Amino acid sequence: MKDTLELLHRFSAHPDSRCWYVAWNPRGTLLASCGGDRAIRIWGKEDESWVCKCVLSDGHQRTIRKVAWSPCGNYLASASFDATTSIWKKKNNDFECLTVLEGHENEVKCVAWSPSGNLLATCSRDKSVWVWEVDEDDEYECVSVVNSHTQDVKHVTWHPTMPLLASASYDNKVCIYKEEDDDWECRATLEGHTSTVWSLTFDPTGQRLASCSDDRTVRIWKEAQPDEGSSSDIAWKCVCTLSGFHGRTVYDIAWCGLTGALATACGDDGVRVFKEDVTSDPEEPIFSMSAHVPKAHSQDVNCVAWSPKEAGLLASCSDDGDICLWSYKSED
Amino acid sequence: MASHFSGVLQLTDLDDFITPSQECVKPIKVEKKHGRSLAKIQIEDDGNYFQVNQDGRKQKLEKAKITLNDCLACSGCITSAESVLITQQSHEELYKVLRQNKQRSGGEQQVVVVSVSPQSRASLAAHFGLSSSDAGRRLTSFFKSLGVHYVFDTSFSRNFSLLESQREFIQRFQRKEDDKKALPMLASACPGWICYAEKTHGEFILPYISTTRSPQQMMGSLVKNYFAEQQGLPAQRIYHVTVMPCYDKKLEASRPDFYLTEAETREVDCVITSGEVLKMLEEEGVSLSDVEAVPVDPMFSHVCGEEFFTHAGSGSGGYLHHIFLHAAKELFGEEVKELTYKTLKNKDFQEVTLEKDGEVLLRFAATYGFRNIQNLVQKLKRGKSPYHFVEVMACPSGCLNGGGQLKPQQEESNKELLQRVEELYQAERSTAPEEDARVTQLYHTWLQSVGEKRAHQLLHTQYHAVEKATNGLTIKW
Repeated sequence: MKDTLELLHRFSAHPDSRCWYVAWNPRGTLLASCGGDRAIRIWGKEDESWVCKCVLSDGHQRTIRKVAWSPCGNYLASASFDATTSIWKKKNNDFECLTVLEGHENEVKCVAWSPSGNLLATCSRDKSVWVWEVDEDDEYECVSVVNSHTQDVKHVTWHPTMPLLASASYDNKVCIYKEEDDDWECRATLEGHTSTVWSLTFDPTGQRLASCSDDRTVRIWKEAQPDEGSSSDIAWKCVCTLSGFHGRTVYDIAWCGLTGALATACGDDGVRVFKEDVTSDPEEPIFSMSAHVPKAHSQDVNCVAWSPKEAGLLASCSDDGDICLWSYKSED
Repeated sequence: MASHFSGVLQLTDLDDFITPSQECVKPIKVEKKHGRSLAKIQIEDDGNYFQVNQDGRKQKLEKAKITLNDCLACSGCITSAESVLITQQSHEELYKVLRQNKQRSGGEQQVVVVSVSPQSRASLAAHFGLSSSDAGRRLTSFFKSLGVHYVFDTSFSRNFSLLESQREFIQRFQRKEDDKKALPMLASACPGWICYAEKTHGEFILPYISTTRSPQQMMGSLVKNYFAEQQGLPAQRIYHVTVMPCYDKKLEASRPDFYLTEAETREVDCVITSGEVLKMLEEEGVSLSDVEAVPVDPMFSHVCGEEFFTHAGSGSGGYLHHIFLHAAKELFGEEVKELTYKTLKNKDFQEVTLEKDGEVLLRFAATYGFRNIQNLVQKLKRGKSPYHFVEVMACPSGCLNGGGQLKPQQEESNKELLQRVEELYQAERSTAPEEDARVTQLYHTWLQSVGEKRAHQLLHTQYHAVEKATNGLTIKW
């Protein structure tokens, strides 16, 4: 390991609680965090330190599991265990709750905006994935409810360029959805993980998808030609499995849009960065661990997020309630 | 095992993976024997439970059986309900009754009545390349060859559902100023939707739902009340089976509201799906195309001689169509010739309006499938629903696409099959429910004779909010 992951800042974001997730706004100037204290906090850099710019505390009755910024950066969506998803609109330096999306039967686990910003995906312990459409008047309508998983759905993420959605579940599978006749359908099921798939991330081009799991591995999936006689027009095959690196469950994974580095958040309290060997065969890519901070946090690391603007700036958060900011430096 | 229920039911926590609180919590029913109650319970190697009395005698303990009613009254899983359904409501059960009949003398036999839905006829017709009417006639002889005594057609009882819905709508419209929950009136024929509404939106949504019985349960009233009386039979001597496009109809038949307490019998004893009828044909080794066609029993059938009639409008019963025409005429004196359906968000969300001088007098919608039901419910909650009536169905594309319908064969896509089924269903001549002389006669005789209150009970039903069990143990990260 020749690369370095240097700690820049560590601050208590959700004291006496867990910090579940962090998300950068598209301009990379703000970081939103959410936690077990049912609060969302917005962080910004002032001089050399990170300060809390505002607290959104009255939106949810239970844990807030994930937050997501809209591509325009003016809206924030939050997914909560209270079975709702809230949409917040930025007004100057404050946020107001625009609407609360109800419908999931129980805990909402994740929310994600499509790159165009007019679709929103949510998923829940109720095993369903929902697609919502936003109109010009900020009205949200459910356009699809898909029941392709047989268990709790942990994560949803949109393809960066194509109208495709991916989801990860407690049923060990990843599903890829496509719109068909004004409804969304599961068109490919990615099987390989032997336990819960916790998170997903597309590479910057969208040709590959990385998944991380309770089976302590990371898998890289690549778009492929569907098998002869297959009913679907979409297929993804596993081209690489990273095993032996993580001591416990891998909770989150993030592919950096600027550097192509792959970061993971692990239940063994560590943060790791993997780099692809650019000379390797695209059908059998080789990734190596290029940086590792074993005790990045004092408890499980729940999330890693690369800054969309500043190459190598990585945020992580943990059950210990802290957020850490890291600088990833590559030697070559 | 994949669930057969409509998507709506699958989502409502009903077949959730079983967390501690959602595990089946129905207490075991113990027949208490009087006397001193000191005993040990011993579990044998084979898993049987024995009670060991003080004197050392052993007594095998009965396993608890969960009925479908227990499941319906619980907010827990439905996975267990599925196995209950399989034992209580299946074609096996019908076979059992028919077998028992063969071993009994005439006076002890159950009179077996099968009421077939028009959607099931269309589905079987598409499968065997027949017309819907022809499928109906051949099904009649198939069932009779098995020992069924009467075969009826639920289009007939649907006349009552349509007429009562029309009347109920007018009453609700007229009291809309005083009763905030009079409108929109939401259709009640779909049991998946009803179950979802009761379990998920309870007290909020139930007042909007039409109290009119579905065609299946109208037929229940006709068979176990009127017909029983006509035949001089106690209701429990009649075994009433319906053939439906939908698994959720089994839940509907099991509702306590449709149980005749005194007679200790359900109005509909057993519901089998179109798919299960195909299974029966296969088990008997016959093709419907080879079965002789005989006329259906005319007493409760929407027929003229050999020909079956249908109702205009959607393949889900045409509620929107009939209520719209009736309301336009009764409330505004407008004779509407043709309805114009405007597709909104998607093909399963359509709107029909009646306008006069630029003013919208009536705004009706048909919303099918879970996503559209969601948007409807959310609009209602926000006070933003502009509708007077909504034909709500749990399945995308409605009842013709029900979960109990036959699956496409070989090359055919689901969509192509559905189109053929729709064509077959619509090919039958439609008549207005007001035009059926037998229906009018039954209103004048049977329903007059039982009194207004009883007539209402026979034609309407009620809904019950299901309390949700929630506790900390259900939390999953």
